[in-house]
Amino acid sequence: MNIIEIRNLKKNYALGKTTVYALRGIDLAIEKGDLISIVGPSGSGKTTLLNVIGCIDNATEGSVKVSDREITKLNDRQITDMRLHHIGFIFQTFNLIPVLNALENVEFPLLLMKKQSKNEIRKRAEKLIDEVGLRDYLKHRPAELSGGQRQRVAIARALVTNPDIVLADEPTANLDSVTGEQILNLMKDMNRIEQTTFIFSTHDANVLKYANSVVKIRDGLIVKEA
Amino acid sequence: MNLMIKIAWRNIMRHRGKSLVIGVILFVGAFLMTIGNGVISGMDRGLQKNIVNSFTGDIVLVSEKQESDEVFIEMMGKTVEPINNFKQVDSLLKTVDDLQKWVPIGKNGALVLNEEGGAPGFTFLIGVDFERYQKVFPNTMKAVEGRLFNPGEHGVLVPTGARKQMFEVSNIWFIPEGCGVDTTSMFKEAKEMRSNLVSKQSIVFMGMGADNTSTDIRLGIKGIVRYNALNQIWGHFGIVDIESYRNCIGYIAAADKASLVLSDADKKLLGGEDTDLDNLFSVDGMITENVFAPPRSSTKTSTAPKAATGPSLADAIQTDLDDGTYNLVLVLLNDHSKLDEKVKAVNQRLKASGVGVRAVPWKKAIGAIGSMAVLIKSALFVFVMFLFFVAIIIIVNTLSMAALERTSEIGMMRAVGARKGFISTMFFGETAILSFFFGGLGIVTGYVTVRVLALCKFTSDNDMVQLLFGGDTFHPLLSGGDILLAVIQLTIVTLIAVIYPMQVARSITPLDAIARE
Ligand SMILES: Nc1ncnc2c1ncn2[C@@H]1O[C@H](COP(=O)(O)OP(=O)(O)O)[C@@H](O)[C@H]1O
Ligand SMILES: [Mg+2]
Repeated sequence: MNIIEIRNLKKNYALGKTTVYALRGIDLAIEKGDLISIVGPSGSGKTTLLNVIGCIDNATEGSVKVSDREITKLNDRQITDMRLHHIGFIFQTFNLIPVLNALENVEFPLLLMKKQSKNEIRKRAEKLIDEVGLRDYLKHRPAELSGGQRQRVAIARALVTNPDIVLADEPTANLDSVTGEQILNLMKDMNRIEQTTFIFSTHDANVLKYANSVVKIRDGLIVKEA
Repeated sequence: MNLMIKIAWRNIMRHRGKSLVIGVILFVGAFLMTIGNGVISGMDRGLQKNIVNSFTGDIVLVSEKQESDEVFIEMMGKTVEPINNFKQVDSLLKTVDDLQKWVPIGKNGALVLNEEGGAPGFTFLIGVDFERYQKVFPNTMKAVEGRLFNPGEHGVLVPTGARKQMFEVSNIWFIPEGCGVDTTSMFKEAKEMRSNLVSKQSIVFMGMGADNTSTDIRLGIKGIVRYNALNQIWGHFGIVDIESYRNCIGYIAAADKASLVLSDADKKLLGGEDTDLDNLFSVDGMITENVFAPPRSSTKTSTAPKAATGPSLADAIQTDLDDGTYNLVLVLLNDHSKLDEKVKAVNQRLKASGVGVRAVPWKKAIGAIGSMAVLIKSALFVFVMFLFFVAIIIIVNTLSMAALERTSEIGMMRAVGARKGFISTMFFGETAILSFFFGGLGIVTGYVTVRVLALCKFTSDNDMVQLLFGGDTFHPLLSGGDILLAVIQLTIVTLIAVIYPMQVARSITPLDAIARE
């Protein structure tokens, strides 16, 4: 079953008088539970593609289905709820709410969903924090955590809502190689434990080995699927 | 909700500097607004007490022929039109609800003839049946020398201000009948002249009627009076019994029988021919109850001197007095706040019945003073509004900047699934908390300050300042309503100030946050 189906996706940016064709006709299907890496040089359109899939940018043309919903036709409220209920996001930086500690950051999306009791939320968040190995850092605020620890919190938060997909745009770009590897290993583990679909982008060929499959992208087009 | 307050509170603590800036603005704004409210409120109450309840009443009835509404302190030379049918007006007023009490008075200007031969002075005269007047305006003045009127008595009560003014013009120091010169009440210049000070116990007024029907009239001074409040302003008004007033202005008196023709010697005196003061005061008859001078050359027959015929005016009964001429009827309301409504109601009634009288609200009747009071109040109001404005501008600026500085954080929250409403509420929550604490503290501090200021009992002799004070003493006042007003003002400031920054914060998208990376 495909969790993502993309057909003829185009994305243009107006840049002054010129138009930047960031995505020029992407066709892509991703299976549920997959761990996919999108690889390509800088400027090839990786971020743009992830943003469109993640409902934080809109397509210029084409069709994007996430969990059987055509997201190109949703209004702001629906898009927001889509992000909350179906998608987990891991950014390079600025992942966490500075005034909340690690545990509270992980609880945050669940509190927005208002589906569970406080107790259930706390339990679920603690479980995730535990799984990403931050049991001893529950009460630490982002400023008191290292870069790698922050990415771990971000992963826990992305997973806590049981989303259909987790998107990570170059999650290791700001980390040293050892920490970066740990994070990728963690994503691999979490993909197995929680059976969540993971898509991460990278321009580093070294990280490809962590992915189940790789999508190569260049100049806004998919080169070949492997 | 819990989460929101937690985030809002921690954000406040995190951005302490900015929070403090906004907090201080809210504090100062709320503080000054509260004090402003207190001063305005105190002024209102003071003006009500010291003008309306002491002097003008809420509504002033004037003749329809009266052009200007400013009947109390009008330009010199202009006269107030007479009301000759008070009885009719009186029975009409009885049919209007919520009028508490009223009193008819005479009010016009008079020259104070200088018996020493110098230039004449000028004063306003208020002609009243004193007993009746005091029932409507009780305890508004006290005699600092001499006494107030006895029932039915003729004479004049001279305010301290008028005495001083007359002294400055004529160098004559007026004292009450039977009293000596009291140096303690004198001001410096008078004291310096003490050795050759000319003092007199009666005044010769020359009324300034509309036509040339005025009469010189000598009135014994019964007392030197001081108004309990706004003595500077009310000091321009000498109080005369109504019948003497009518004679002086040349109106038809209800009972003008008790007049006494001046002897020839006295005529000479008035003409300034006789300067022998000892002679004047040695004549017992001169300082009698009431001495009417003969008409001046221009006067008409209606007020020609009457021969003295027996009984004093003390015998003239109320109805007799009301047959004569007045100028104004001063009406006090049960509920002062209903002024405009009642003016309308009274005017309707008056018009329908065609008595030739119309109603004017006190602020108009008091003219410049009323406008000045309104002006001072407006200035205060504008000041408060200005604070409002400045506070809003600064807060809008600071908050908008704060919103933009937090683009990545807010964009990330949105990316994780926070709706616009969440962002607005969070943002509003922060401002509301600041407003509640700092603004609340400002209101409390303002309240305490107002109480302390009221306890200080600052006084002033300056007319302008007295208007601001609403009396001689500064007595700012905060009622529950005023505090509620301050809270509402604070809320409005907060709401207005937060709208734009909230809009800024709401419109931040996850993309904005990513673009920042
Ligand atoms: N907001 C934008 N405005 C204009 N051009 C953009 C914008 N975002 C991305 N682009 C352009 O689109 C292309 C793809 O960018 P991006 O998706 O960020 O590539 P990658 O993430 O692979 O480095 C680039 O040429 C980039 O300059
Ligand atoms: Mg990129």
